[in-house]
Amino acid sequence: MASLELKNVVKRYKSQTVLDNLSLTVADGETLVLFGPSGAGKTVLLRLVAGVIDPDEGRIFIGGEDMTDVDAEFRGVGMAFQNFALFPHMSAFDNIATPLEAKRSSPSAIKAGVESVAKLLKIAHVLSHKPRALSNGQKQRTALARALVGSPPLLLLDDPLRNVDAKLRFEMRLELPRLLADRGATVVYVTQDYKEAMALGDRIAVMSQGVIRQLGTPEQIYREPASIEIARLFGDPTINLLDVKPARDARGVYVGLSNVQVHLDEAPETAIGRDCVIGLRPEALHFAEDNEPGAIPVTVEAETPLNEKIVTLVRTVRGREILVSRPAGAPGRSEGKAHIAVDGKSALLFDQASGERIGAKNVVKLRNGEAA
Amino acid sequence: MSPTALTISGVDKFYGPIDRGVHAVKNLTMEIGKGEIVALLGSSGCGKTSTLRMVAGFEEVSRGAIAVAGRQVHTLPPVRRNVAMAFEGYSLYPPLTVRENMAFALKAARLPRSEVDARVASIAKLLEIEDILERYPSSISGGQQQRASLGRALIREADLHLLDEPMGQLEPQLRAVLRGRIKHFIKERGLTAILVTHDQTEANALADRIAVMEGGVLQQFDTPDRIKERPANLFTGTFVGEPPMNVFEAFVGTAHDRINLRLPDGLSLDYDRNAFSGPVRDQLLSRERVVIGIRPYAVRRSKDGVPATVLANQWLGDQTHIAADFAGGSLVLVEHDRTRLDLGAPIKVSIDPKNLHVFDQASGKAISHGMELA
Amino acid sequence: MEHTSLLERILRGVALTLVVIFFMFPILWIFMMSFQTNETILRIPPQLIFEPTLANYTALITGKLMTAAGTLDIAFMRNLWNSVFLSVTSVAVSLLLGVPAAYAFARHKFRGSEDIAFTLLSFKFAPALLVLLPLTLYFQKLGLANTYFGLIWVYQLICLPLILWIVRGYFEDIPADIEYAYRIGGHSWFATFRKIALPLAGPGIAAAGLLAFIFAWNNFVFALVLASADKQPVTVGALAFITSSGIQYGQISAAIVLSITPTLALALYAQRYLVEGLSLGAVKG
Repeated sequence: MASLELKNVVKRYKSQTVLDNLSLTVADGETLVLFGPSGAGKTVLLRLVAGVIDPDEGRIFIGGEDMTDVDAEFRGVGMAFQNFALFPHMSAFDNIATPLEAKRSSPSAIKAGVESVAKLLKIAHVLSHKPRALSNGQKQRTALARALVGSPPLLLLDDPLRNVDAKLRFEMRLELPRLLADRGATVVYVTQDYKEAMALGDRIAVMSQGVIRQLGTPEQIYREPASIEIARLFGDPTINLLDVKPARDARGVYVGLSNVQVHLDEAPETAIGRDCVIGLRPEALHFAEDNEPGAIPVTVEAETPLNEKIVTLVRTVRGREILVSRPAGAPGRSEGKAHIAVDGKSALLFDQASGERIGAKNVVKLRNGEAA
Repeated sequence: MSPTALTISGVDKFYGPIDRGVHAVKNLTMEIGKGEIVALLGSSGCGKTSTLRMVAGFEEVSRGAIAVAGRQVHTLPPVRRNVAMAFEGYSLYPPLTVRENMAFALKAARLPRSEVDARVASIAKLLEIEDILERYPSSISGGQQQRASLGRALIREADLHLLDEPMGQLEPQLRAVLRGRIKHFIKERGLTAILVTHDQTEANALADRIAVMEGGVLQQFDTPDRIKERPANLFTGTFVGEPPMNVFEAFVGTAHDRINLRLPDGLSLDYDRNAFSGPVRDQLLSRERVVIGIRPYAVRRSKDGVPATVLANQWLGDQTHIAADFAGGSLVLVEHDRTRLDLGAPIKVSIDPKNLHVFDQASGKAISHGMELA
Repeated sequence: MEHTSLLERILRGVALTLVVIFFMFPILWIFMMSFQTNETILRIPPQLIFEPTLANYTALITGKLMTAAGTLDIAFMRNLWNSVFLSVTSVAVSLLLGVPAAYAFARHKFRGSEDIAFTLLSFKFAPALLVLLPLTLYFQKLGLANTYFGLIWVYQLICLPLILWIVRGYFEDIPADIEYAYRIGGHSWFATFRKIALPLAGPGIAAAGLLAFIFAWNNFVFALVLASADKQPVTVGALAFITSSGIQYGQISAAIVLSITPTLALALYAQRYLVEGLSLGAVKG
């Protein structure tokens, strides 16, 4: 068993508090992603768990055991670093072998262990090379192999894909789940890339300024972000945010978007009459027929394809910019006047002052409104 | 045909002695029309930056000629070429504020002050740097410096706007909207822009045409759609597109009325002979081995396909990426819905022949794209 | 890089030759003097052509110096041995003490660590003459004057600060993550110091050791005051050639040649090693 628990952990550097009374539980076998901008305290948290730095306050439990005062070498965790941290004077083989040597495994056991993990990571052919003779991708795989080789019950991965190019990063992102699942280890994975976070995490902890702002499944974070700040961190293109003031008429709650009343289903009562921000994901908007009810007239500014999507920047009659994204091949306009409509389901309402999402009900349903 | 903004004819670049030094750009010829946005795309060392610097005048042309708006410029100093440039390292003037940096060239051109102020204001709004106009470059973030540097280039009127890695450092939250605005700005004013980038998503988003370079050689110069649908060779095919194209080696065989492409692990893609046009069929059958490429979005799951095992199923909010163990390698599928598949689950995949790219095994040159010859 | 014209290359060659002559001439001259007798050396004008003699070297090695006034016993070989022994032992002691200390200063920032480190370096700033008088008195009281032990102790003032500061810089340049990675792998801090920090700082330690050796070897003042003839290194020993019957230029030159040979050889040998070591494949690509 290797669950991980942090209780009221505080870490300060000089006068700056980098982790502020942080508590967190990671279940056995779970992959938890720590996501957030640089300086959020993600790496510090990982190092505290690894035992290479000490917390100022709080306790750290690994597998139910209090490890706060235990030295790093006795915690039995595996860690991969953002900058790889390979030992430059040792071959890839010797690099990977170091955790096994620490366990005083026999030479034959070391050889077998290193070779099997190297095969899994497709670096068996470069084991005799020194780090400087390895490509970036091979370095990264070597670092990962070193973290995995001792089959540690707790794996700490500090943004391991950051320093490899886009193609390798993509490849590794698809390869990692199987590698991790095979090991059955508990994983704490640090990243600044929301796609990695969503792809790899059973749960994601969104951090900023030393505090966990939201903890949930990728689905919860994406569909029910706790605040505007979090909603903006997930999704490419970024979520559209427009100031609105929800009101009520005979047909229910509506918001005015460019002189069009868009009615919302299940809109929280508390939002009515308040200064709000509505969050509309670009993929939740589509190009509509001109006479479709609730369609908003816009002018197309530019079309910018993005991977298998087409992202269109449009401007409403009030001059507000909106990004609309659609799968390549779906109907759309590339210039001139057009109409867009909201797909429903995923519209989010935030309080304008605090930035927090309004309403206990997480998902606001939209009903097609009629043009005003 | 719109008038040409830039003509590069037979240009070579050597670092060191001609014919003996490092051959960075090899016999490059291309023509760019007025009002076009062109991306020079390639990995580091492919010659794209050397090309841009030769056009700007910071690098001597070893051989060949460059003309801007019909005027031979390759022997002129940079100031006399009438080109504007945004540098990868920003190169903002440290003792000047962001506003002064942006206004610098306009003031040098003796534009009236009101005009300068108006232009700075409009570009600053476009790039969301209004609140840092009075700050100095050293006190703003990398992303802000990049936007300021872009602003300094876009504000000028010039025959050519050269943008070196213009958006690499931009805050991800701003990237999509800035791409849209900048493209709109360039198009609205009819500017001609050449951007150098290693990021194929940026090239696809902004460019009318993309020049893919590798090893100093122009691999393909075409619209993003054509490069995606008809890549000239294996390099272009795998370099452009995210997720990257799936690539497998295959043996070509025939049985009865069918053509089969045999993959490792005993798998085989079988197609009706008539699924291919005559010339494509001839090309295929004249070879024993080929390399086949399939774009991730063109792979479909179906009841009667070739078996594969799910290795990863990753939902990114608006797309699902699926990796499957297939033919001794991994096959990537992209679906636009939220798909839920367990790791290790068996699936069947089919590949429509019209989405199949076939490349020569030795040269990597494209043989056919779907039904048509390359 | 750029294609250069012939003229450019010629000019560059001439300039280089001039610089080399300027710096190498004294060494070359001494080397030549060491093969001449006093008479040929003192000839005016000096001549480049002469009949080489090994008499100077013979005199040094046998320890018998023939002068106009008679035969003189000299202890040059003894001095040479003293130099080797003092320098090697001092550097060894300094490394033993300085390297772990440097590691501690680099890795463990504790209260006042910066002050202590600076105090140690400041020994290097103090003029030797300033400390010599009290030191001599202490040493005489303690019975350390004119002992190898006492000299080696004093030599720590030369070697230790040098080693401490150079090696500390090298330790600081090793990314902490590399050491963390080894410890997380299950190794103690001491194993990490031995297997990771020491090898990676190896070139730095070698450079510091070499520099300390040269400084120790070239030291004059401490040995002059604190050691008598049988403990003196070559630097002080060379004074013996200023005899009542005149200065023995030939022997002095030969002595200098013999005494700089070890340091020169060391520097040449270590240079290769240093350049190689400094380009270790770093952490990231």
